[in-house]
Amino acid sequence: MTAQGSQTSSVKRAAWIIVSTAFIAVCLRVAFFATPKIVTDLSNVVALSLAFAGLVVLTHYLGLLSLGQGAFVGVGAYAALHVVNDFGAPVLWMPLAGLLAGTLVGAVVAIPSLRLPKAYLALLTLSLAVAYPIILRQVDGNLPVTLNGGFVAPSWTGIAENDEHIWEFFLVAAYASVTLFFVQGLLRGPIGRAFIASRDQPEAARAFGIPVYRLRLYGVALSGGMAGLAGGLLMIPTNFNDYTHFPEELSIKMFALAMAFGGSRLISAIPGAIILIFLPVWLIDRNWVVEYGWVGLVKSEGFIYAALLLATAYITKGKGFMHLFERRQPKSKMQPSNRQVTSVVRGLSDLEEQLVQLEGLVGDRPDIRSRQETKD
Amino acid sequence: MSLFLQRTFDSLANGSAYAALAVAISMVFRSTGILNLAQGQLAMFSTYIALVLATGPSPYMKFSSNTDLIGAAWPVWAAILGAVAISMVIGAFTERVIIRPISADPVAAVGATLGVYLLLGAFVRKQWGGRTMFLGSPFPQTVEDRWDIGGARLWHDSVGITLTMIAVLGLLAVLQRRTKAGLAFRAVTSNRTGSLLVGIRVSRVLMLGWALAAGIGALAGGLIAGEINVRPDMMGRLLVFGLAAATLGGLRSPVLAFVGGYLFAFLETMLGGYVSFVDSQVTLVWALLVLIIVLFVRPSGLMPRTEAWQQR
Repeated sequence: MTAQGSQTSSVKRAAWIIVSTAFIAVCLRVAFFATPKIVTDLSNVVALSLAFAGLVVLTHYLGLLSLGQGAFVGVGAYAALHVVNDFGAPVLWMPLAGLLAGTLVGAVVAIPSLRLPKAYLALLTLSLAVAYPIILRQVDGNLPVTLNGGFVAPSWTGIAENDEHIWEFFLVAAYASVTLFFVQGLLRGPIGRAFIASRDQPEAARAFGIPVYRLRLYGVALSGGMAGLAGGLLMIPTNFNDYTHFPEELSIKMFALAMAFGGSRLISAIPGAIILIFLPVWLIDRNWVVEYGWVGLVKSEGFIYAALLLATAYITKGKGFMHLFERRQPKSKMQPSNRQVTSVVRGLSDLEEQLVQLEGLVGDRPDIRSRQETKD
Repeated sequence: MSLFLQRTFDSLANGSAYAALAVAISMVFRSTGILNLAQGQLAMFSTYIALVLATGPSPYMKFSSNTDLIGAAWPVWAAILGAVAISMVIGAFTERVIIRPISADPVAAVGATLGVYLLLGAFVRKQWGGRTMFLGSPFPQTVEDRWDIGGARLWHDSVGITLTMIAVLGLLAVLQRRTKAGLAFRAVTSNRTGSLLVGIRVSRVLMLGWALAAGIGALAGGLIAGEINVRPDMMGRLLVFGLAAATLGGLRSPVLAFVGGYLFAFLETMLGGYVSFVDSQVTLVWALLVLIIVLFVRPSGLMPRTEAWQQR
């Protein structure tokens, strides 16, 4: 590494430490001094960030469409709640049941649909989103199911018994941070690069030995697992679940927000979660939901999400607004009309050059040739 | 036996709606490769247009200045035809203005169709609220309007809806096989670049495809409204069955999608009728399970395997 590169890297590290410390300080301040309602909403935001991050992995890393992320969250919530109520599992471990359930359902949906064109995954997940509330209503009935157990902060935390919302916030934040850290690491490594290769150049990726189908399957399972974990975490501050919690509109809104704000970094999942939780509150606070006519339409949640989706499609060509702020690679002089063909041709000409060099090398070294002949 | 026959007859009307939506979805996907998720909402919106045409200016109208243009109430069949015509214009407009500029990127295009889905839903909720409204059927619908066959009742409106949809599919087949526009449509779905090279105006053909799909959806919405009434979420369930039926046709064959629509309706009615723990709501779940099993066992749906695998 050059001296300049090393200096840039250390500056970046220092900036990262400062930003992280400031973020933790703000979180602590909010957790201890904000009203319980705001802290609970923030817990929901943090939990849902995971589901959004899962969607970002799917849409922006793998180029796949899932329209049932809300249903995966619901599956996680259901599993988390019932593993405590029916099997007596400790409440602290219940989000892991959500993770497991989300992963399993993700895999079950992915195995048949990924064998076909990409549209099938969108189709099947949308069907799941529509069917989930109906299934839950059939299984759990019309009344909400409440969690048997609570979250009491240990004495060493110094959190009072009445302030359980603070402890719940820390639990959710801890689970979410560890997961995001782990997944971000995964995406920065060879798996993340393989995801991108399978998205941009699936044929070339196959030629290089990347198992595209299996990789996509892992991606959908990972995304489902993250959503399931988010569902499990949502049960920490919410403590109950019913069939109205995860309607199909939730999945569509989540898709809209992930498309609009998703990017190559998982942190881009946070704005989506904030909007999803706070936009309805904001609209209700301003009495916009009761307005009718054209003005009422423009101020409605559905219109806002529709405008967001259409703006994302037009302005960013489906890549998301975060993409506009991300560092661009310098443009190459050649602008190929067909990237796939060009990359194959470039690869072949590189190979040809290397072969010529190798032949020249062998031709220059008669000792290698004679040794080879002796061996034969 | 009479009970089985009755349930088979009961599945006809729903089957027609599923089949129509499946055909519309297949047509758009086949020609553009885009899954039009707004198909159900477009049909729902068209049904509201039919309602406005059939009832005249309503006390529920919030945008009253626009509704004065409509004037006196139309008969239901004329209102549905009017809604079909308006929907075709909306479908063509959607393709030209919203989809075409971004059609090169399927993710953006699917996002845009979802935008249209949300936009139409928001518009209808703000315009007419969430209340259930009644449109009525263009076919006779009284208790006497039926045939008794083998102890089962076959209602006139179910037969009317089914025959109308079969006639529309027949017309579509004639359009595709016997007209220049149909030939161009088949050429574009088969090879878009080749079609461009031989001078076919691909963009116009695609616009026609979207218009026809919107028209078929509107017809389905208008016809089924007599059975399920008009409300903003009327098409959610129908869309899922329509998508499932389209999958049985490999998303590319309108004929197989049509058959799939009736097959799913038959399955839905039989499961609801004969399996004790399956009520009318849960049939959707069983349909979903069947869909997953079909994709597991035969990913190509009812299509010949070779053709489906070429799509990969």
